Amino acid sequence: MTITIDGKRCTCEKGEKLLAVARRNWIPIPTLCHHESLPGQASCRVCLVEVVQQGRSSVVASCVYPVEDGIEVYTNSDRVRAERGMVLALLRKRAPDSQLIADMCRLYDAPDLDRVKVSVPGKCILCGLCVRACTELSVGAISTVNRGVTKEIATPYHEPSAVCVGCGSCASVCPTGAIEIVETADTRTIWDKTFRLVRCARCGEPIGTEEELAHAARKGGTEPDTLCERCRRRSMTDVLAATYGDRE
Amino acid sequence: MNRTILVCCGTGCLANGSKGVADEFQRLIDQRGTDARVKCYVKRTGCNGFCENGPIVKVMPDDIIYYKVREKDVAEILDKTVEKGETVDRLLYRDDQGRPVKHQHENPFYAPQHKTALRNIGAIDPTRVEDYIAAGGYEALKKALAMTPAEIIEQVKRSGLRGRGGAGFPTWRKWQTAAEQEATPKYVACNGDEGDPGAFMDRSVLEGDPHTVLEGLAICALAIGAEEGFLYIRDEYGLAVRNVTTAIADAERHGILGDDVLGSGRRLKLSVVRGGGAFVCGEETALIASIEGSCGEPRPRPPFPAVKGLFGQPTVLNNVETLANIPVILKDGGDAFAAVGTEGSKGTKVFALVGKVKRTGLVEIPMGATLRHLIYDIGGGIQNDRPFKAVQTGGPSGGCIPAHMLDLPVDFDTLKSHGAMMGSGGMIVMDDRSCMVEVARYYINFLAEESCGKCTPCREGLRKMLEILTDICEGRGQEGDIQLLEQLGHTLQDSCLCALGKTAPNPVLTTIQYFRDEYEAHIREHRCPAGVCVKLTAFRIDADRCRGCTACARACPTGAITGAVKQPHVIDSSKCISCGSCREACRFDAVETEGRDAV
Repeated sequence: MTITIDGKRCTCEKGEKLLAVARRNWIPIPTLCHHESLPGQASCRVCLVEVVQQGRSSVVASCVYPVEDGIEVYTNSDRVRAERGMVLALLRKRAPDSQLIADMCRLYDAPDLDRVKVSVPGKCILCGLCVRACTELSVGAISTVNRGVTKEIATPYHEPSAVCVGCGSCASVCPTGAIEIVETADTRTIWDKTFRLVRCARCGEPIGTEEELAHAARKGGTEPDTLCERCRRRSMTDVLAATYGDRE
Repeated sequence: MNRTILVCCGTGCLANGSKGVADEFQRLIDQRGTDARVKCYVKRTGCNGFCENGPIVKVMPDDIIYYKVREKDVAEILDKTVEKGETVDRLLYRDDQGRPVKHQHENPFYAPQHKTALRNIGAIDPTRVEDYIAAGGYEALKKALAMTPAEIIEQVKRSGLRGRGGAGFPTWRKWQTAAEQEATPKYVACNGDEGDPGAFMDRSVLEGDPHTVLEGLAICALAIGAEEGFLYIRDEYGLAVRNVTTAIADAERHGILGDDVLGSGRRLKLSVVRGGGAFVCGEETALIASIEGSCGEPRPRPPFPAVKGLFGQPTVLNNVETLANIPVILKDGGDAFAAVGTEGSKGTKVFALVGKVKRTGLVEIPMGATLRHLIYDIGGGIQNDRPFKAVQTGGPSGGCIPAHMLDLPVDFDTLKSHGAMMGSGGMIVMDDRSCMVEVARYYINFLAEESCGKCTPCREGLRKMLEILTDICEGRGQEGDIQLLEQLGHTLQDSCLCALGKTAPNPVLTTIQYFRDEYEAHIREHRCPAGVCVKLTAFRIDADRCRGCTACARACPTGAITGAVKQPHVIDSSKCISCGSCREACRFDAVETEGRDAV
């Protein structure tokens, strides 16, 4: 089927999400909580676009909106600019220390909202991607706590989590870099818990925390890794060379 | 002649001591035993809706209704009414002219009502399935079992029934969509997570007539092909949870539900899920997440629950009151149901009429009645005959409708086009001593706490709206605040994930639309015209009007009022905390308010 985005005709299939169609056609739509591997979050509302269908116009979140034949989409109409700008302005009050949010506010002409106070210091926009990542990829060590204006992301009772393996998935999906990881020569500290780093048996590069490797091995039904990615490949190559290899 | 005594045992009357009254009736009847000239039964019923006058006792078949009955009155009712058919005048309701009212249908509160969803409540014992069956219950289910799903949906379509939970979505369309889905299993669910402050019609139906909800759900299950269903009831509704649980067990024991529905070979398993008290769980996708055991947060729609709902399967989720109408539609036909109401809103609606009206309670009237009819004819007008100011319809997500719109017909579309909404049917009536800015602040505060916090505009936008409204109420309002509130409001309407956020700005936007001058008085003159906002209001006693009755001085919690009996009283402004107790207590309108700056 065919839809138009900002006047451009785009072909797409039933069930596809509007954001995916737009990006395939090089039409930029800003996002924060959208992650290819963890779709459907739809919480930041930065990807708002205007959809006109049978003469009726509505504002939707493009990351979760399934396309329908014949819709006209506007990614930069007055209405979209106003609502997206306000959403970004609200996020700046929520995450005043985030450079990314500040940059987006400038780029998308967000109002300054000087009239109201900063809500909380920091960089977290509470999009919840970290919780999704932790739950779906790993162990569920963090979750959203409370609701409404007192909502936050935390480990249970704000204590170091018993189940966190220190894999850092949460930090890697965070769009604003709000989750702090501190690494020393042999430790990694995240969510107030310090883990021992395991080093590659061959090259000595850190390959992860003990708990993280054990967790991955448990899930995969194997022994924990002792080599880094590169050395593991190299050791495979050595075995192959020894078996079939060039004997000079 | 045998007589039945119906003792209201809804939550309101129970709180007023109706259990003791019912027990006392039983004790005295047992004591009199077989010697009694008149055989007499006590029946404990659901809520009659006129809770402020409880405990309510009806004597049938005489149809004599008593209010505020105490245990000490029981013997007299037995002696006079049960034995001799005489009335106990002091327990009768007095109408606006002070005349005693003997029968329920003559009471000005009940007379204009048209009971459909509430038809059995107050007349049957909700814990006895036999009572429901004797009142014609489960006839509709029998009829539905002989119909095809398409025929059932056709009747619901003809009835024009729209969802009573708030949005007013056509019920048949949900059913049709779910029926068309090929995926199985399918589910039916009942939304009993009534959370609007002041609304209690769903609780009343679940408590007082649980079988009608089960029957409605069972008919829905037949129409869409579901074999399992859930009733999501907020846990604060203890009696509702208990009565529904009893009703399910009874219905299963009688072969009405379970593995062989009324001998048809169809299966329907219903169970109760107790809600954890989050307002947002009344939103259908959040409710579904909650039943699944997840955090009660809404999910993006589409897909709609009728396509992909509970456990990813097609699910029809209907409100309690919607389901209570279904058996009537099936029994009498969709056309008969559609004969009542307006073009776009068919049937009746139950309203929880509360606030500053003389008669408060549950009122079921045909759609399209005017607000004036509801507030003045049924509600009896404003307390102490003060001027009407506004009515908040539809709970915290609804809007405030001002006095010049009192003749608006109440139906889904009219209210929506005026910035308010039907919502669950809450009607909070306000008089001239209500500050509309404070009302808006109150609702935004409620919603900011009850927002799930998932999406940015709802969580952060409500927080900022609350901050600005609090500033205005406390004298820190600034020029431009009204425009900023409007901008934030429009962003929320457009960009929030679920209906809670999209409708949350309604109280602010409607109060700005209809009471802009009050906002301006707060911001520009630092004055609260209604004399409510503590930081902007000073109280003063008009010496000419004060009769020196001392009522204000006795009501004052800080001892700020002095004066001799029969002499004008004076408020010491250094001790006054502007709570307004003196103004409430004064019967001579002598307590006046003025702006703080004037002090």
